Amino acid sequence: MKRTTITYGLAASALVIVAAWAALAASLIPLWAAETAMVIAFPVLVLFLGLWWRAPGGEEDIPFIGY
Amino acid sequence: MIEYLVFAAAFGLLLLGLHRKVIARVQLRPGPPVWQEILHALKFSFKSTWVPKTASATLYVGVVLIGIGIWSAALFVVLAGESILILFAIYMLHKIVEHGFGLSSGSPYGKFGGVRSVISAASEIPLFVTIAAIYFFTDSLLLRDIVAYQAVHGPLLLIAPPAAIAMYIVILSKLPYGPFSIVESKELVSGYKTEHFGVWRAGISVIDGTKTFVLLFAFVAIFIGAMPFWAALVIMTIVLVSLSFVCAVTPMLSPFDSVTVQGIVTLLMVGYAAVLWWVMP
Repeated sequence: MKRTTITYGLAASALVIVAAWAALAASLIPLWAAETAMVIAFPVLVLFLGLWWRAPGGEEDIPFIGY
Repeated sequence: MIEYLVFAAAFGLLLLGLHRKVIARVQLRPGPPVWQEILHALKFSFKSTWVPKTASATLYVGVVLIGIGIWSAALFVVLAGESILILFAIYMLHKIVEHGFGLSSGSPYGKFGGVRSVISAASEIPLFVTIAAIYFFTDSLLLRDIVAYQAVHGPLLLIAPPAAIAMYIVILSKLPYGPFSIVESKELVSGYKTEHFGVWRAGISVIDGTKTFVLLFAFVAIFIGAMPFWAALVIMTIVLVSLSFVCAVTPMLSPFDSVTVQGIVTLLMVGYAAVLWWVMP
C-alpha cells in the first residue's frame, strides 16, 4: 500500500473519531451513533497507525504450506 | 470514548502480562515483566509488514479489523449496561474471526488453529446455560437490570455459584497457556495467529487486550454487581490471578479431552438450570 494512501486512511479514521467525540460532546448526535463511529474508525486507526510507522521494506512470501 | 478503548486494550494487555508473570512464578521461573504484552504490541506495530502470497488478502486483513471492531462494540455494550445476549453474540462472532484468521493465510498451522477454534466452540455452550440460569433469578438479561437485582438481593456469585463457576471456566478457556488453549498450542506454532505478523499481529494484541478486559469486567458486573471503577479493576485483577494459578498447575488438554470436559460442564449446568426452572416460582 502506498504511503500517501496510508496517510489518508490514518487521517480519515482520526478525523471520524474526533468528529464523533466532538459531536457527542456538543449533543449533536446520540451516544449510540458516536459509539458506532468509534467501532468502525478505531480498528482502521490501529492498523493504519501501525502501517504508517512500520519499518520499511518486505515483500510478500510463501509461508510453510506443508510437506 | 476513544480513551475507554485505549484504556481497555492497555489494561487488558497488562493483565495478560500479569498472567504470564504469575504462571512463571508458580513454575519457579522469573518470567517476563508485567508490561511485556504492551511492549509486544508496540514492537509488532513497528515491524516490516506484508501479506503472504498464499493468503486471501481481503480476509487476512479484514479479520483483524473485524476482531478489533467487535470487541470495541462489546466494551460499549458492557459499559452501557445493555443485554448480555449481545455480549455473548459478539463472543460467538469472535469464534468466526478466529476461524477466519486460521483459514486466510494458507498455512496449515493457521488452518489447524482455525479448525480447533471451531472444536472449542464447545466452551460457548455452558455460556448459554449460564445466561438461562441468570435469567431465572433476574427476569432480565439487561446488564443494568442484573446489577440492580444484585443491589437488592446481593451478588449472584453467592446466589447462583454454579453459573459463576461456568462463566469462570468460559473465561479460562479464552486465556492463553490454559488447559483449554487448544487453538494456539505449541504443536501448531502459534495456532491461528501463526502467519499474522507485524502490524497485523499488533492488531491481534489489541483484540486480545480488549477481549480480556471485557470478559473480566462483564464477569465482575454480572456476578458481583455495582462498585466503583477502581474496585472493579482490583477484583478483575484478583480473578485474573486466580485464573493464572489454574493455568500454571494444569496441563493443556488434548482437543478431544478439552471438548469432553466442557461438555461435562454443560451437562452439569443444564441440570442446574433444570432444577432452577423446577424450583423457581
